[in-house]
Amino acid sequence: MSGSQPGGFWDRISRRALLGTGWVAFLFSVVGPALANIRFLFPNVVYEEPTVFKIGTPEDFPVGTTTFLEDRRVFIFHEPQGFRAVSATCTHLRCTTGPFVPADGQAKVEHSHCPCHGSIFDKAGNVLQGPAPRPLEVYQISLGGDGRLVVNTNEVVPPDRYFKA
Amino acid sequence: MKGSVGKRITTWVTGNRVWRSLFRHDLPHDDLGRMQTMFTNFFLHLVPARVHFHSLRPGYTLGLGVISLFLFAILVVTGVLLMFFYVPWAERAYHDMKDLEFAVSYGVILRNMHRWAAHAMVAVVFLHMVRVFYTGSYKRPREFNWVLGVLLWLLTLGLSFTGYLLPWDQLAFWAITVGTSIASYPPWIGKTLRVLLLGGNTVGQGALLRFYVLHVVALPVAVALLVAVHLWRVRKDGGLSRPLTPALPAIAGGVPDPATKDATGPALAEYEIFPPFSQKTYGLMELAWGTSPVVETQAPEEEIPSWPHLTFRLLVLFVGVLAVMSTMAYFFDAPLEELANPTHPPNPAKAPWYFLGLQELVSYSALVGGVVVPALLILGLMSIPYVDLNREGEGIWFTSQRGRRIALACLLGTAPLGPLLIYLNGHFGARLLWPEAPQAVVDLLNPGSLLLFLIVLISLMTWRVTGSRRAAAIALFSAFLSAYVILMIIGTFFRGPNWVWVWPWQAGAIY
Repeated sequence: MSGSQPGGFWDRISRRALLGTGWVAFLFSVVGPALANIRFLFPNVVYEEPTVFKIGTPEDFPVGTTTFLEDRRVFIFHEPQGFRAVSATCTHLRCTTGPFVPADGQAKVEHSHCPCHGSIFDKAGNVLQGPAPRPLEVYQISLGGDGRLVVNTNEVVPPDRYFKA
Repeated sequence: MKGSVGKRITTWVTGNRVWRSLFRHDLPHDDLGRMQTMFTNFFLHLVPARVHFHSLRPGYTLGLGVISLFLFAILVVTGVLLMFFYVPWAERAYHDMKDLEFAVSYGVILRNMHRWAAHAMVAVVFLHMVRVFYTGSYKRPREFNWVLGVLLWLLTLGLSFTGYLLPWDQLAFWAITVGTSIASYPPWIGKTLRVLLLGGNTVGQGALLRFYVLHVVALPVAVALLVAVHLWRVRKDGGLSRPLTPALPAIAGGVPDPATKDATGPALAEYEIFPPFSQKTYGLMELAWGTSPVVETQAPEEEIPSWPHLTFRLLVLFVGVLAVMSTMAYFFDAPLEELANPTHPPNPAKAPWYFLGLQELVSYSALVGGVVVPALLILGLMSIPYVDLNREGEGIWFTSQRGRRIALACLLGTAPLGPLLIYLNGHFGARLLWPEAPQAVVDLLNPGSLLLFLIVLISLMTWRVTGSRRAAAIALFSAFLSAYVILMIIGTFFRGPNWVWVWPWQAGAIY
């Protein structure tokens, strides 16, 4: 460093410190893009089925019926207390749990079998048997402006919440 | 020119400059020439010029590592060919499978071959690991190569899993659904991991494309790299493992010529050719500091030229593997289920046979069976060489008679444990006795976690009784092997619709 004074900046910084700084800078220059690549793999826009959807008018579901909406993988129960939308996606590993069958040797109440790993659920969504760690999710129901029921699968409500149309 | 026409043509072909620039040696006539042939040919130089006669024993290696490599080669070739007719697009992938079956010349054969070679590779890589374990070949200095081997086994399973998703049939769709749901169970990172694998929140086009890229690029490249390091380390560690000292005392009367005798038979073991611990070292001049540590008890005269003893065996083995795979591909069609139906899984929804043990485990608890037990298993396998430090019994099947007895006892003795625990779980399971039990109780008290606990207990007891870590390792590995196979058999033959217990002769068991 011609022109630098003894005891100046270039004398106070050791060769080891300078090279160490260089290595750290190199490390950051590698790690930064690597992190960016990981972020890159998480899409910002996905083209999936909507999570809020209309299922029909309340009259389409007579009191006392259980309707399985195949494309949405949701059970719609219309009981005297009101409507409930119960997810048919097993909480174990996301298989579709089967239709509700009457009480038999395996369960004392009306129940649904998940075919993949043998979980059994009752109509409230509770786990009767098997590996499912949580009850089936119950989704929010509301009434749309056009008089049709709307299910929102982003909003999970308590299992005893009924929707009165 | 003299001689017959054929001779003259041969001389003209092999004598001209082009040929001689391609092949720098004639077919070798002596050992020096044989070694030079191995040395100067790129493909042949991947194996050593001379090989220890012990490495050629079929009864020692069973050829499993090499067969794995050949299967991988077959998979790469058939896989690249299949890529010409397959588009990873959810609406088209299944119909491309049908085209391969009905409209593409030899398409069905290639797909069959790819599928059966994949199944074979899963089996053979695992058996290779079993062989390496029982012959104690993971011991110093080969510890890390064992770890690489475990990683290669996992990559093989990953390739197989990503592969059977691509046809986008029912198996594919529900395997992705279940597999990525298992991935969502690890605490903290699970949910993110699932989005990363699926490229979204639901199983669809994004997931198919991601698994395709993993299957055709990421995982094969990883396997190729690790195989290269794996094989390189085999050579740097002095070739395949073998007994540290010759098994039998020396005899007078000369040294048998390994090249002419049956080098693979037991005859040679009866001679001690050189006294042990010759402590010869070779320097790697100008290439590396220090001397190569590889030689140890090896004396050059225990080695025979790889050409033709090794090369011919490799060729025969490759032809054999290819013949078996071709025959399988010709007579047995690869399964293809119905088109993926995102609404309903098939019932029973069974994974391929090699994942049915895992499926049985997750049917007790997804967290324990799908994440905790596999993670502990992999860590346990990888740590074996760092726990069993003694080189005792290296290169000898089961180490000793005692080791053989321990292995047999643990293989057969622990076999009833799995069915017993499943029976107990079915009649006195946590959920049955205590319906409101928190999930943690179910996770802790289920056949999977109890089986793991018992296996570790058996191993610790073996250590306690024998005082030998190798014996404890044999007990651990044998009990694991037994449980793995038993769970696989239960998943395959004893599980019916809704995953309930059925007997194999009842309807619905064989799926």
